[in-house]
Amino acid sequence: MAEKIYDVVIVGSGAAGGTLAAHLARSGADVCVVEGGPKVNTRTDFNTHSLPHEFPNRHIPTMKPGKPGFDSERSRGLGGKTMLWNAVAWRFSQRDFKGRSHDGAGEDWPLAYADMAPWYDKIEREVGVCGNLDGLEDLPDGVFLPPVPMKCSDLIVKRGAAKLGVKVIHVRKSTLTQARGPRPGCHFCGNCMAGCDVVAKYNSYDVHMVPALRTGKLTLQPDSVVREVMVDANNRATGVRYLNRVTKAEGEVKGKTVIIAAACVQSIALLMMSKSARYPTGLANSSGHLGKDFIPHFTGGVQCFLKDLIGKPTTNDEGFLDHAYVPSFMHNRKRDYARSFGVQFNYQNRRATGWARDVAGFGASYKEAVKARFPAFLTFAPYGEMLPHAGTYVELDYEKKDQFGLPLAKRVLGWSDHDMTLFREMTRWSKDILEASGAEIFAVGEKPQTNHELGGARMGSDPKRSVVNAYCQTHDVPNLFVVDGSVFPSASEKNPTHTIMALAARTADHIAQRAKRGEL
Amino acid sequence: MLTDNQPIEATQDRRENLKIIGAISATCAFPFSAGELYGQHEHPAAAAQAALPKPSFFSAAEMAQITRIADLIIPATDTPGALAAGVPAYIDYVCQRNEALAKTVREGLAALKGPADVATLEQLQAAQSPFFKAIKNLTADGYYTSKIGLLDELVYKGNQVLAEFPSCTIPEH
Ligand SMILES: Cc1cc2nc3c(=O)[nH]c(=O)nc-3n(C[C@H](O)[C@H](O)[C@H](O)COP(=O)(O)OP(=O)(O)OC[C@H]3O[C@@H](n4cnc5c(N)ncnc54)[C@H](O)[C@@H]3O)c2cc1C
Ligand code: SF4
Repeated sequence: MAEKIYDVVIVGSGAAGGTLAAHLARSGADVCVVEGGPKVNTRTDFNTHSLPHEFPNRHIPTMKPGKPGFDSERSRGLGGKTMLWNAVAWRFSQRDFKGRSHDGAGEDWPLAYADMAPWYDKIEREVGVCGNLDGLEDLPDGVFLPPVPMKCSDLIVKRGAAKLGVKVIHVRKSTLTQARGPRPGCHFCGNCMAGCDVVAKYNSYDVHMVPALRTGKLTLQPDSVVREVMVDANNRATGVRYLNRVTKAEGEVKGKTVIIAAACVQSIALLMMSKSARYPTGLANSSGHLGKDFIPHFTGGVQCFLKDLIGKPTTNDEGFLDHAYVPSFMHNRKRDYARSFGVQFNYQNRRATGWARDVAGFGASYKEAVKARFPAFLTFAPYGEMLPHAGTYVELDYEKKDQFGLPLAKRVLGWSDHDMTLFREMTRWSKDILEASGAEIFAVGEKPQTNHELGGARMGSDPKRSVVNAYCQTHDVPNLFVVDGSVFPSASEKNPTHTIMALAARTADHIAQRAKRGEL
Repeated sequence: MLTDNQPIEATQDRRENLKIIGAISATCAFPFSAGELYGQHEHPAAAAQAALPKPSFFSAAEMAQITRIADLIIPATDTPGALAAGVPAYIDYVCQRNEALAKTVREGLAALKGPADVATLEQLQAAQSPFFKAIKNLTADGYYTSKIGLLDELVYKGNQVLAEFPSCTIPEH
C-alpha cells in the first residue's frame, strides 16, 4: 500500500492547531494533526470539581487517576492549553499591530487591524465570545454574546478606578453565556482552569476538531511527539518524524504542507531541532532571528482585601472566574516607557487559600482575621508588553533532556530597563487603583513574572529580520508555516489567544486558496 | 464537502440540539450522553477528606510538640480548630516528603526543649524565626485546605451549578 501523503500536516492541537485543522478540513484538504499528548476527554478526565482536602498533600492534580495527559510541554493532550485556559478573548487594536508607528519602539506587524477584523468576526461567530460593546478604540468590539454581570467586588473596584479616571469593563471570554449547538451556557461552577467539563468554555478539541471530523478529511494522531521536520533536497518540507509518547517508537507522517503550531517556545524548539547542513542553526533560520525577539507578557501582582467586604457573609461568586477588566489606559497618556499594560483581576478561585499563611499573628484572633477576610480577598494582575531586546531569547539546552530524550527548550530572561520601568509603573498603578477602591493592600509582587509566551519566530516583510511572512509562511521553506504566538512581532498587553486563532483562520484560508490555485 | 463560511455548529443536528437545550432549561441537570453531546450535570456533594497515613516521620515527642503548636496557632473556638481538622498528621505527611522543611521544623522543635506556650510563640514570631514561619505555614495550609477549614470555617460556597449568575446585592456601590 502506498504511504499516505496528507495535504497538510499540523504539529500541535491547541488553539492554533485546532483552528487550522477545522478550517483546512472544511476547505476540503486532507489534514493530519500530530499531537504529542494523548486524547483527553474534558467531561471525564480532568479533576474539574475536586477540592484540596480530597488529596493527602492538598494539591489537586490536573488529571484524574489513571488518565494520562498534561505531563510535559510536548505532550499535553488533544486541545493543548485550551483545555485549561481562562478563555479571556480580546481583539488586538490597530495600535497593537502598529506599535512602532505609535510610540517609536519595537516592531510593527506586517498587517493591520483591517486585515484581521474579518477573521476575528469569523472566530467569534464560530466559537461564541461573550462581552459588552464598549466602543473603545483600543479594544475593538466584536460579535458578542451577552456579558456576565459584574461581581460586588468588581463594582467596588470600578468605583475606585473611576476616581482616577480609569475604566473598568466587562471581561470578554470565549465562553458561552447562552446554549449554542450541543454546548450549554456556562453554569458558573468556577472551575474553568481545571477543565470545563460541559464545554461552555471553548476548547479546540470539542469545539473545532470534533465537528470537523465529520468532514472525513481530518485525521487526529495523538501520542506522537514530533522531533523533526523533514526537508528534502529541493528545500521542501515533506512531513514530520515523531516518537510515540508511550513506546518511544519512531514514526513519520508525510504531507505536502507542514504547519508547526506547537505553542511558541516548542515551535521554536522544533525548528531548532530540525537543523541541517543547509540550516545549521535551525530550520528556516537564514535570518538568524529564530529564538530572538522573544517577548512574553509579564505580570506583576497585588493581593488585597476590599474593606467593604471584610466580615461580610461569603457569596458564591467565583463562577466564570473574572468578570471585569481594566483595559489599557496609559497608551495615550504621557509616560516614560513605550507600550502599555492592562489589568486582569479577581480571577482567583476561592478554594485556593494560600494567602492565609501570611495573615499576621496566631491564635483565635488570627483565625478570626482569616475568616473575616475570606470574602474580601482579591488579586490584581497587570499584564505588560515587553519590547524585543538581545538579553531575552529562547535556545535549546542539549545538556538537559526531557522524557523523550529531546533537548529542553530554555528561556533566557534578561530584564531590560524598559521592562523594569513598565513593571514598576504598572505595579504602582495597581496599588493606586486598589487604594482608591478602599483596599487593604496585602502583598505586592516584587519581580516581574512571565506569562503568555510570544515572539521568537517573528513575522515581517524583510526575510533578513524575520522568520515568517504575514501569512505565517517561513521565508526560507515555501511549504512550511508556523502559526502560534511565536510569530508575534510585538505582543500587545492583551491576552493573545483570540489573535492566535484569528491568525490561524487567516492562514488556513490562505493555504486553501493557494491549494486551489495549485500553488502548493 | 462543507463550505468555508458555515458556522461549525450548523453542521450538527438541529433537532437533537434543541432537545438538549430544552432539557437544560427545564431541570438544569442533564446527564452526559454518548458521542459528542455536552450537558449540564449535577455536581456531587463534597467528597470526604482523604485519609492521611498514621504519622511515622516525627517521633512521638516531636508529634506532641507539633500538636501543641498547631493547637495554639489555630485553636478550637466556637468552630473546630487545627486538631479537629487533622493538621498534625498533615504536617508529618508533608515533612516526610520535603527534606528542607523537615530540617527547619525538626531543629526548631529541638531548640524549644519541650512544649511551647503562647509566650514562646510570640517571641519566635517577633524574632521572625524561620521555624515559626514554617510551622505556621504548615498549620494554615493544613487547616484551610481541610474539609472543616474550607467548608465549615470559611464557608466556601463555590463549585456549584447556578442557573444564572446572581447580580450583586450589596447596596450602595
Ligand atoms: C491556566 C491558563 C490560563 C490561560 N488563560 C488564557 C486567557 O484567559 N486568555 C488567553 O488569551 N490565553 C490564555 N492562556 C494561554 C492560552 O492557553 C495559549 O495562548 C493558547 O492555548 C496557545 O495556543 P497554541 O495552539 O499556540 O498552543 P497550545 O494550546 O499550548 O497547544 C500546543 C500543543 O502542541 C503540542 N506540542 C508541543 N510540542 C510538540 C511536539 N514537539 N510534537 C507534538 N506536539 C507538540 C502540545 O502538547 C500542545 O497540545 C492560558 C493558559 C493557561 C495554561
Ligand atoms: S464556570 Fe462556566 S466556563 Fe467555567 S468551568 Fe464552570 S461551566 Fe465551564
